[in-house]
Amino acid sequence: MQRNIRFTLNGRPVETQVGNHQNLVEVLQGQGLFGARESCSQGLCGCCTVIINGAAVSGCLTLAPLIDGADVRTIEESQPDGKLDPVQQAFVETGAFQCGFCTPGFVLMTRQLLDAHPQPTDDEIRHYLAGNLCRCAAYPEIIKAVQLAAAKCKG
Amino acid sequence: MTPFELAEPRSLKDALALLNTEDPSVRAFGGCTALMLMMKTGVFQPTCLVSLRGVEPQHAEIQPDGGALRIGALATLTAIGGSAMVRKAAPVIVNAMQTLSNVRVRNVATLGGHLAHGDPHMDLPPVMIALDAELTAVSVNGERKLAVADLFTGYYETALAKNELISEVRIPSQAGRRSAYIKCTTRTADDWPALGVAVSFATDGKVIQDARVVVSAATEKAVRLRDAEAALNGATVSDAVLARAGEAAAAEAEVVGDARGSAAYKREMLRVYAARAVKQALAA
Repeated sequence: MQRNIRFTLNGRPVETQVGNHQNLVEVLQGQGLFGARESCSQGLCGCCTVIINGAAVSGCLTLAPLIDGADVRTIEESQPDGKLDPVQQAFVETGAFQCGFCTPGFVLMTRQLLDAHPQPTDDEIRHYLAGNLCRCAAYPEIIKAVQLAAAKCKG
Repeated sequence: MTPFELAEPRSLKDALALLNTEDPSVRAFGGCTALMLMMKTGVFQPTCLVSLRGVEPQHAEIQPDGGALRIGALATLTAIGGSAMVRKAAPVIVNAMQTLSNVRVRNVATLGGHLAHGDPHMDLPPVMIALDAELTAVSVNGERKLAVADLFTGYYETALAKNELISEVRIPSQAGRRSAYIKCTTRTADDWPALGVAVSFATDGKVIQDARVVVSAATEKAVRLRDAEAALNGATVSDAVLARAGEAAAAEAEVVGDARGSAAYKREMLRVYAARAVKQALAA
């Protein structure tokens, strides 16, 4: 029911004990990371977005033992030069949040979107981010932030 | 969630041996997204879960088989949605994928789990039935073929035995056929559907042949609507024919009301959506 797992967390090796029934958000909280938030608990809202081996997942739907050996990246991963990345910068410049609770998920999903579609259409943005909810309804600004981030990345 | 054992077999054979037990709470998972929801609400409390993620990677492969396509049950929905082979053989699957749950779920959820869960609200059951797909079910006793149309026996119930897994889905050649899938969501655009309709048919000039019309979400299981199909077969598409097919679909479907719409509302939507799906397939 309990087991030791090892994984890479934002580039640093981690070894910890988890219960089989625990989820990834709980593991991250144990590591002092609170950027991935369990909100809807159903994989619908995107607040618990985590990148595992390069792919976005819902941390709340990911069993902790399954990340054994994985490369895990969260919003807390610092950028190489210690500055905000173009996506974060675009969210700040467009004011794409109010309370900020959903922002880590939106930023991580936007990075994934721009990796797959460097110049996304509005339709692609809406479909890709359909699984992220913003209760402050900053959606128009979020769409603008993604467009601005795409422009910045194209640079 | 309550604690449980987790087995991580390295082969499908070992997984099937683990599932060959009398304990009804031993379950296999691929992506574990659907099971997680059941475990979180306490609906399902396993003694042991069997992860299929470590079995041979060939069970996640997508490969051509003559004009047909074979999709390993462990292929993720993202892999299927991004497959050029799937896009070429059955673009309706790729189109359906765009609004199927969300990116994160599609990254881990598998085709086998999606079908075996028996949830009538899911998007690919009606699509696979419309495409006349066939699955391979495996157990310690061997394997058998089953039409996806015969998989669903009721609400969250399937024809799979307790010790069986889906290993593969085969989609026959769709040459000369047109297909479409549309769904009606009533609360938000990305909500679980109140109604899904998949259609597939051949065309001889303007005449529809061998039509398959499948309803999901509004009914307790995804099911073909034979009267609607009969209204289309041999007919040249016109507004009158589409209206008759829609009326037939609404009349014959055993529609169930829920939080996403009353039975009367869903029945009316089915009348509209059945005709709309045929139009969309013709335009595809």
